[in-house]
Amino acid sequence: MIKKFIHQFASPKTYLYQVSRFYKYIFYFSLIIYIISIIWGLFFTPEDFVQGNSYRIIYLHVPASFLSQTLYLAMAISSITYLIWRVKLAAYLIIAIAPIGAMTTFIALISGSIWGIPTWGTWWQWDARITSTLILFIMYLGLISLHNSFSNHEKADKLLSWLVIVGAVNIPIIKKSVDWWSTLHQSASITLTDKPSIDPVMLYPLIGSIVGFFGLVICLVLLSSKYQILHREKNKSWVKDYV
Amino acid sequence: MFKLEFLKLRKKTRSWLGPILVFWLIMLAYPLTVEFLRDKLEIGFFSVLWIAILISMMLATEGIFSEDYNDGSLEQTLIKNPSFSIIIVTKIFTHWLLIGLPISILSFVFSLGTTEDLSLSLSILPLAIISSYIFLNLFVLGNALSLNKGSVLGALVTMPLALPVLIVLGKGLIAIQLDINYQSFIFLLLGSLSIIIVAIPIVVSYVIKAHLE
Repeated sequence: MIKKFIHQFASPKTYLYQVSRFYKYIFYFSLIIYIISIIWGLFFTPEDFVQGNSYRIIYLHVPASFLSQTLYLAMAISSITYLIWRVKLAAYLIIAIAPIGAMTTFIALISGSIWGIPTWGTWWQWDARITSTLILFIMYLGLISLHNSFSNHEKADKLLSWLVIVGAVNIPIIKKSVDWWSTLHQSASITLTDKPSIDPVMLYPLIGSIVGFFGLVICLVLLSSKYQILHREKNKSWVKDYV
Repeated sequence: MFKLEFLKLRKKTRSWLGPILVFWLIMLAYPLTVEFLRDKLEIGFFSVLWIAILISMMLATEGIFSEDYNDGSLEQTLIKNPSFSIIIVTKIFTHWLLIGLPISILSFVFSLGTTEDLSLSLSILPLAIISSYIFLNLFVLGNALSLNKGSVLGALVTMPLALPVLIVLGKGLIAIQLDINYQSFIFLLLGSLSIIIVAIPIVVSYVIKAHLE
């Protein structure tokens, strides 16, 4: 039954219809969660003892940083799926995610820079975490330019998938950079194994903002993948019916 | 197979001599640009050295597949040999032997000439040897990805992967200068190389197959 479901859902046609069905629910749910979390975080949490009000940028910086890596992982999983099982939808997803991944990485870098001025006294430092995130941003741009340089979509998909898999080596480097090198960037405040080092008053809106931002970015990915499907399958009869 | 690749590359003088000469010129140009620091040349020397190795390796891979791709011999080789990745390994090794190794030795010579410190220069040698091989592998991947699209695109998409190596080289150099355990950096580079040396030829062979399909 699960296999049948995956098989059906992997079809661009089913995916497109399902996305159209659920998109608005995900969007409104995420938007409400994000707005509530942002208002809660900005106006109803106390000032940080050391950083003052500047810490409040975490409600944008942390979700963006989290998403920048998560989206790359999603691309890597899609690449493996495409190369092994030749699932066309996976190839569409890779190129649909790339620009959104670049955008979230850019937001993470910019918000980090803005946060750096009051806390570190500098907007940029060639620190391991920041540099590896910049490398991720350049990787995203490289992936987009590689895909755009080929007119043969199938060839471009295969080459892109290989590069995404090789580039995935950067993800553990980003994740572990704060442990492997002595960096200005602080260690993760929320981990799966340890108790969060952040106070619960600040933690709950942060979790809310991550969930909300995640949902909103997922909506962008769904829209982008929808566009990819319509563009790449434009000659199919069902696309004409759909449009 | 190795002999054939070696002879093929040796015949193309421009392909192997060009990157070595570029490396030479960058290293010669460095003292000319730091007039006021002439007595403290070693301050920025190693940064220039690593970047010169990076650029030379990028140039070394230019056209590594394009000629064979255009005359059809790459397709022939792929059809004839089931173990295509072994040919890739041979190609990379040949390029490293004719370009990477001389550049690594030149790095030692330039390091000795600039710092006048034999032990420091001897410590630089393994870092240059390993890093040149890593860079070569990465740029070969870039070249394979952008086959027939110009080497700049390939270099751009794989350059981010080379940046962590540059960071490790910088850290390794500091460890050497501070006389702390720099061998850990060599082991780190060797570990990366051992993964790259196996993974890149396999990926490159699939990438070339995708181009030829």
